[in-house]
Amino acid sequence: MTKTVAFLAALCAMLVLSDPLPAQPTDASLLAGPFAQIEEQARGSQVRWYMFGGWAHVNTWVDTYVAGEMKKRYDIDLVRVPMDAGVFVNKLLNEKAAGKKVGTIDLLWINGENFKNAKEAGLLYGPFAHKLPTVARVVDPGSVALDFGYAVDGYEAPYGRAQFVFEYDTATVGKPPKTVAALKEWIRANPGRFTYPQPPDFTGSAFVRQIFYAVTGGHEQYLAGWDADLFARNAPLLWDWFNAIEPFLWQKGRTYPKDSAFLDTLFSRGEVAFGMSYHPAHAQNKIIEGSYPETVRTFVMEDGSIYNTHFTAIPFNSPNKSGAMVLADFLISVDAQLSKYSPDNWGDFPALDLNRLSPQDRKRFQAVDLGPATLGSEQLDPVSVPEIPSAYLEALEQGWKEHVLDN
Amino acid sequence: MSWTTSLFLRLSPLILPYLVLFCGGVLLTVCQSVGVLTPLPHAGGALDAYAGILVDRSFFASFAFSLGVAAVSALFAVTAGTILAYRVWQLPGKLSTAALVYKIPLILPHIAVAFVILVFWGQSGILASAAHSVGLIQSMNEFPNFLYSGWGIGMVLAYTLKGTPFAMILAMALLTRFDTRQIQTASMLGASGLRIFYSIVLPRLAPAMHTGFIILFLYNFGAFDIPFILSESRPGMLSIHVYNLYFKHDLARRPEAMAILTIMFGFAVLFIIVYSRVVRRLESGVRKL
Repeated sequence: MTKTVAFLAALCAMLVLSDPLPAQPTDASLLAGPFAQIEEQARGSQVRWYMFGGWAHVNTWVDTYVAGEMKKRYDIDLVRVPMDAGVFVNKLLNEKAAGKKVGTIDLLWINGENFKNAKEAGLLYGPFAHKLPTVARVVDPGSVALDFGYAVDGYEAPYGRAQFVFEYDTATVGKPPKTVAALKEWIRANPGRFTYPQPPDFTGSAFVRQIFYAVTGGHEQYLAGWDADLFARNAPLLWDWFNAIEPFLWQKGRTYPKDSAFLDTLFSRGEVAFGMSYHPAHAQNKIIEGSYPETVRTFVMEDGSIYNTHFTAIPFNSPNKSGAMVLADFLISVDAQLSKYSPDNWGDFPALDLNRLSPQDRKRFQAVDLGPATLGSEQLDPVSVPEIPSAYLEALEQGWKEHVLDN
Repeated sequence: MSWTTSLFLRLSPLILPYLVLFCGGVLLTVCQSVGVLTPLPHAGGALDAYAGILVDRSFFASFAFSLGVAAVSALFAVTAGTILAYRVWQLPGKLSTAALVYKIPLILPHIAVAFVILVFWGQSGILASAAHSVGLIQSMNEFPNFLYSGWGIGMVLAYTLKGTPFAMILAMALLTRFDTRQIQTASMLGASGLRIFYSIVLPRLAPAMHTGFIILFLYNFGAFDIPFILSESRPGMLSIHVYNLYFKHDLARRPEAMAILTIMFGFAVLFIIVYSRVVRRLESGVRKL
């Protein structure tokens, strides 16, 4: 019996003490040296980029354009691994808990709550963004200081910009409502023709925030950070708004689409009159793909349309941090941002500051044809409002469940 | 080397994964539910997560709904599976080989079965189009709204479809060893088919039915894949609620997700104990054939 116990104890010890390798000694020195040295070290290596894999056109863009350029410019082999952000954050949490010093992920496509979760749990390497020459040259530091109101501190590098838009089919809806108040009237006048993805879905949750700004008097009051009294005072207005429209929603509001892909399907089949997306070029992409009719257009609410920046970050246990930095730097470069901006590739808005570019480069961006379904910056910019600090986000999602869903 | 050590070594390919993966997983879940070993330092008291859950009405609604869906579909599956198994067993040799098609849903993954239900039973699905084209309904919208009825009908259909062949296999295993002379004797003495089924066949199949019910019921109660496709928003299935808490909310809410999992696990263990006790008590009064 004692032998058995000893044997078990030895096994446990082996499990606990496995992988005693220290972190790579190069990690700290990497950030001390010049970027040319990082590039040199990255040459000929492999970079594994974990990113959301739900968009075929984005996957194609990464696999062809980005992978091709990385190979050509740096002899780097890019491996794209599709994974939802919530899932890779949990993977990293488990690796950290298990003491795994050398992981499998080099670069993450991340933002918002997932970034906050990852940074608070110490899953990220950095600060590295200041090290990237392109970030220093073309990015307005003010525009990327915060991610959902949470300080970035150089732990992620900007990659793209998104803004919330609504979609409608000009063949079925003549004039879409342009304000949140008009939207409410429209929904009540057209029962069964509107719905939104159920929070905590990313898009549905953004829709709730959008309405929150509109029915409680604008975004400025929330940007200073979490204020419980303010929230308690304002949130009931939001729940009232949602409860007032609920009986008039698709399926009488008994159920909600579980994610934005479900809403896309309902919209493409004409079951509901409006789609919505956090990506201004989403409708154009769907038209090109053939799943939306040519007559679909996008519009924004005059009360404001939320925008955010999405980023790339490097995990604490990335086996190839230099390669990850080279890729992050390439992604924010003029060439990559321009290619990404084209609706045939993706249509994702640039995260760089056009005013910092040379006149020729600026012209190249202005010359991109976004397609008839995508709004230009002249329509998007005037109504753009920043994302809410993430403490509100959590409270809104929880509150929506309590006061709207479970009500 | 002592006898126990050598036995342990020989069983280690089975015991080690069980200890490390299963027991380790359960232990970690319980720990995180009381705020120990959580990804972020836990601020509140050890039982905060449980206290929060137990005053949440929507949790009990979800719990009851998940139980209902699981129980109804396990009951359907076991009933249908047992009757079908008996029928297939009675078929002449050639036909019973053909009846092996019943095993098809066993091979299909749960998620595929969920899609089958979605494609067939939706208001824009295959059955609705068929009913429309033969003139049973005037427009597709007249097709009953099975998938969004608020009663979890879609999930019950999927779980029943998936569970029936499983219950059949369990019953078949007993039937192949069944002594047919008992049935012949009963029939010679004038017993009807129904009487034979209730008095002779059913008591013999009962152990398989109980096992089948426990396995299917507990699986349906906790599984994620079919609800992921077919669950409605309200009342939501518990597994979807846990998934959302785990993957889509702030890390600070990890104890809440783990507490729900712990409660579900505790319920499963309790259910097995109570169910087997009740069955044993019931059976002790029955005369064995």
